[in-house]
Amino acid sequence: MYLNCFTTLFHIDILAKTMITLIVFLGFIVWRFSGRYLQGDARYYKFMSLLGLLALSMMVMVASDNIWLFLGAWGISNFFLIEMMIHNRNWQAAKASGALSAKILGFGFICLLTAFILMTMKTHQTSIQYISLLSNDADTEFSVALLLILFAGMAQSALWPFHRWLLSSLNSPTPTSAIMHAGLVNGGGFLLVRFAHLYTSHASILTLIFITGMISALLGTLWKLLQSDIKKMLACSTLAQMGFMFIQCGLGLFPAAVAHLCWHSMFKANLFLGFNSLAKEQRCKIGESPSLILFLFALVCGVLASYAFAMTAHFTWLAYDTTFVLICVVFITATQVSVTLLQIERPLWIKSLSAILISAGLSAVYGLNVWLFELLLKPMQLMQPQALNFYYLCGVLLLFSTWIMSLFKNQLMKNNTMATLFTRYYVVALNASQPHPATITTNRNQYQYK
Amino acid sequence: MMQEEITSAWKIISPVWPLKNIIACNPLQGLEDMPFEQAVRQGEAYFQQKNLPANMGNVNRATIKWCQAFFDEGQATLSMPYRNLGLYRAWKKSAIFDRCLTHSEKNRKEWLLSLPESSENTITECLSTLAIPDDKATVFLAILLVTLPGWAGYVKYKTEWENESHRFPVTQIDYLAMRIAIVCITGQNPFELLAWHEKAHACDASSHLYKIKVAEKNYQTSFLNSISIKENFITSKNIKKYTAQLVFCIDVRSEPFRRALEKQGNYDTYGFAGFFSVPLAIENERTEEIYASCPVLLKPKHKIVEKLNCHERKCSFYKKILKNIYESLKYSFTTPFVLAEALGAWSGLSMLLKTLFPVLSQKIKSNISSFFSPIAKTEPSNNKNCHDIVPFADQCTYAEGALRIIGLTNNFSSIIVFCGHGSATENNAYATALDCGACGGRHGGSNAKILAHILNQKNVRDHLHNQNIHIPDSTIFIASEHNTTTDDMEFFIDNHVQKTINHQILSKLKKDILMAKTINNQWRGQKLLEKISNHHDISKHSTDWAQTRPEWGLARNASFIIAPRDISKNIDLDGRAFLHSYDWRQDKDGSSLTAILTAPMVVAQWINSQYIFSFLDNITYGSGSKITQNVTGKIGIMQGNGSDLMHGLPLQSLYQTDKQAYHEPVRLMTVVYAPRTLLQEIVLQNDVLKKLFGNEWVMLFCIDPEDKNIYVLSSELVWINLE
Repeated sequence: MYLNCFTTLFHIDILAKTMITLIVFLGFIVWRFSGRYLQGDARYYKFMSLLGLLALSMMVMVASDNIWLFLGAWGISNFFLIEMMIHNRNWQAAKASGALSAKILGFGFICLLTAFILMTMKTHQTSIQYISLLSNDADTEFSVALLLILFAGMAQSALWPFHRWLLSSLNSPTPTSAIMHAGLVNGGGFLLVRFAHLYTSHASILTLIFITGMISALLGTLWKLLQSDIKKMLACSTLAQMGFMFIQCGLGLFPAAVAHLCWHSMFKANLFLGFNSLAKEQRCKIGESPSLILFLFALVCGVLASYAFAMTAHFTWLAYDTTFVLICVVFITATQVSVTLLQIERPLWIKSLSAILISAGLSAVYGLNVWLFELLLKPMQLMQPQALNFYYLCGVLLLFSTWIMSLFKNQLMKNNTMATLFTRYYVVALNASQPHPATITTNRNQYQYK
Repeated sequence: MMQEEITSAWKIISPVWPLKNIIACNPLQGLEDMPFEQAVRQGEAYFQQKNLPANMGNVNRATIKWCQAFFDEGQATLSMPYRNLGLYRAWKKSAIFDRCLTHSEKNRKEWLLSLPESSENTITECLSTLAIPDDKATVFLAILLVTLPGWAGYVKYKTEWENESHRFPVTQIDYLAMRIAIVCITGQNPFELLAWHEKAHACDASSHLYKIKVAEKNYQTSFLNSISIKENFITSKNIKKYTAQLVFCIDVRSEPFRRALEKQGNYDTYGFAGFFSVPLAIENERTEEIYASCPVLLKPKHKIVEKLNCHERKCSFYKKILKNIYESLKYSFTTPFVLAEALGAWSGLSMLLKTLFPVLSQKIKSNISSFFSPIAKTEPSNNKNCHDIVPFADQCTYAEGALRIIGLTNNFSSIIVFCGHGSATENNAYATALDCGACGGRHGGSNAKILAHILNQKNVRDHLHNQNIHIPDSTIFIASEHNTTTDDMEFFIDNHVQKTINHQILSKLKKDILMAKTINNQWRGQKLLEKISNHHDISKHSTDWAQTRPEWGLARNASFIIAPRDISKNIDLDGRAFLHSYDWRQDKDGSSLTAILTAPMVVAQWINSQYIFSFLDNITYGSGSKITQNVTGKIGIMQGNGSDLMHGLPLQSLYQTDKQAYHEPVRLMTVVYAPRTLLQEIVLQNDVLKKLFGNEWVMLFCIDPEDKNIYVLSSELVWINLE
């Protein structure tokens, strides 16, 4: 009977299985890495135990069906994370990072708590499965709860305006950063996917998710390009990627968001753990901005590639729904690849052919990724493209125009007024992306390792 | 008019080299004019203060932010505007928009705008705004520097040591002007700072000196006891034919390897500065990078190009395209999202391999990268026209100088190896700190190749013949490189040498080197944290991306021995000694000894004092624990979110664990086997030497060949017999 009671606390569906696989995989790698990396550190055993506990509590979180168990695992995971982040309380700046995170993540926790209270009061149920399959869209209490869950997700994924904790978290040991950027910041995306069915019946909240994602994606990318230290650049990049994950949720394309969550986790963990090699890499010289003809041809390649993506992802090409946004992102990426390839010093036919084939190939791989996850999560019916509206179209326009600007930035900089404008906004953006003042070690003698 | 104050304010700061070639440096270099003990106390007052006046936090935060932006070497995609105007003017253009400084107040903004364009005038104006009395100006400016010593040190490197031309100019005046302007605008009370400084100087006690003295006493007693065994001093060199002669770098890591090799057979080894007296600049065609491969005290004189052949050029082209695509997607808007997903699975696999099977993953990586772009070949070892690069006259000078300074002028064996060195570590920001210091923090193989090539030339040998150095035709010089992390030794043998060399001897040499490697692996393995013994474990150590202590580098260094190998041959020096070969009988005028004392020994003193001070206070003079470090602008280390540029060595290079030490802080003991009258003369003629020995930064011991007694030079520069 107890066993029965115990099993009702969990619901291990394919989403939970995917997440557990991811946690085990990344947890194992980071654990093995830290075993050597932290050797000789005074807090070695504490760190290793916390890492194990964190992985365990995250697994409980993704597998739990009981709302209170979920909330508890959520809170405890964040507690472990903050402990790992501070690592050494004698270092004031690290302690300040922890305090800031505790404040913002604590706010997220309270939002989640309130939302869950509202939901249980309404439904008298504690099963996430049961609650998330209800769909009475006119209900204000549910709307409020969903908004609160969104806030909790935003705080967890460090979306703007809750981004400060993530950008100030780099006083932590490198493996903590890896497990944080690959693990717990994704909690926001997971939360949205868990309640996906409720969100798809609240179209306006979906649009709101899209907008918040959009803001963070743009700000994160801009800030990332300004950073001159490697870890902060990676942190800003995570912010942008979290934004994109929310964009995908906001589009109703939840399997795509899960795919992004998984692949980005591995991508970012690898970059963080290997940041020393990464920092040494010398960049290629930036090429000239493309000529108009070349650019137009690249656009054609982009169109072809986006078609290839639609094929492999099993989307309808140019459908009047939100898959269009994703197709546009692929189109932009493929065009960028083509521009790069068309600028190499080789005969024209070789360049053109390779531009078409490589951009299409890359897009097809991405399409397969998305389709794979859609197939995997099929039983949960999470693929819910929405009808296009004004905001989605604005989003597409923003994604496109910012990319064009960065492509032609050399051209733009030649203009004098643009250069002055750039200086002004450069400083604004640089200041906005600074960590919290208390988390910077202004007097080196205040730094402590013991 | 301010020039003098500014120059003397900068004196206290020692340069900080960037990560691409980390050169060791005494963090108290500016205090070397004082006796050691006094300097340590002064250093404490200047640099080690735990607390700063509260508002200095704001001043430092702003300075760190703008230094990070200005000195960035390619990390940021959108970099700080107007950097070509120089630090001060670029900062001024941006600072008017910086709300952290102006707080959006109109009068502050106007004040910034009203600052003079010239940085020198700005300093004068700010000093009068702050009402600093003239006699306090130097101290005040120095305080502004020592409260952020890492960044100031980097400016010192940029202005006094960097060889390349400055795309983004910076002067010492610029940096001070920016710093003092920030002090003015943040409203930091200057008298509070001056008072803080005076208070720091009032306490006159240092706990460090005790630690040094204990360690020194222990080391000196045992070292002098073992070296004073009289049998070591071989008077008449019995002419003995060696199987091969090997010339290693003076680096302390050569000593145990040489000892292990000498046990394997009839080998004669020498120590020599690892750039082998050829001041080179090397241009790598693949990476398009040019770097100096000689001590930083010298300017490179000859440039060689590491060229790619046709096939390599093609492969490197493909690699470049892939890299180009990756970077154009990563550093732009909208496109990184797809990139992260496309590379996710690959990243996962690569992480798994790197973590579980580092050796295998390294092998795969090097196979792939050698398919795409094989290691470039250094010319002119496979090229006839060496004259184009090093003129014949210079070739003769280098050849003769090299052989004379180490005393290898007769009794040549049939194979003579010049052995450069370098390290091999993964995911290590401090990689160049483990490379050859004599080659400017790079691998030394290329220099060895050049000298071997020069000495194999007929016309050079003819010239040497006239100078009374007779190299038999059967003698062949070859180059090699010792990997100090794994103890592998790579030989560079070109076609010409391949045909003429005695293969029987070469294969015996290679076999014995393999044996020496095994012995040295075991010896080093015991000192590593994990206590490992076999070669597989050592290579795993070297390729592991999670390893923070890949090798011990020059830790525990303690002495510098300028003498023939015979003196130290039978002593286990425990990898703590720099060994420079020198034969006083071939140096009647003392010119070789002067060269050794004023160049390699000075560099060894830099290394030695960096280790001492990084060890004594790893936060002020070292860079703290690797586990929380961050790399800024591809140039240097910060702790966490942001801090001073953390110069010096990391904790993991000096300590076994956070608490247990590995290094021992011992001031360099220089031991010279030469007549003490000659030695005294040289010391008295050189201000640098007088300073180092007189102020006790280095101890000088002399083993006099005449009476076989050991003398030590006192701080009054007189010899004291230790008997």
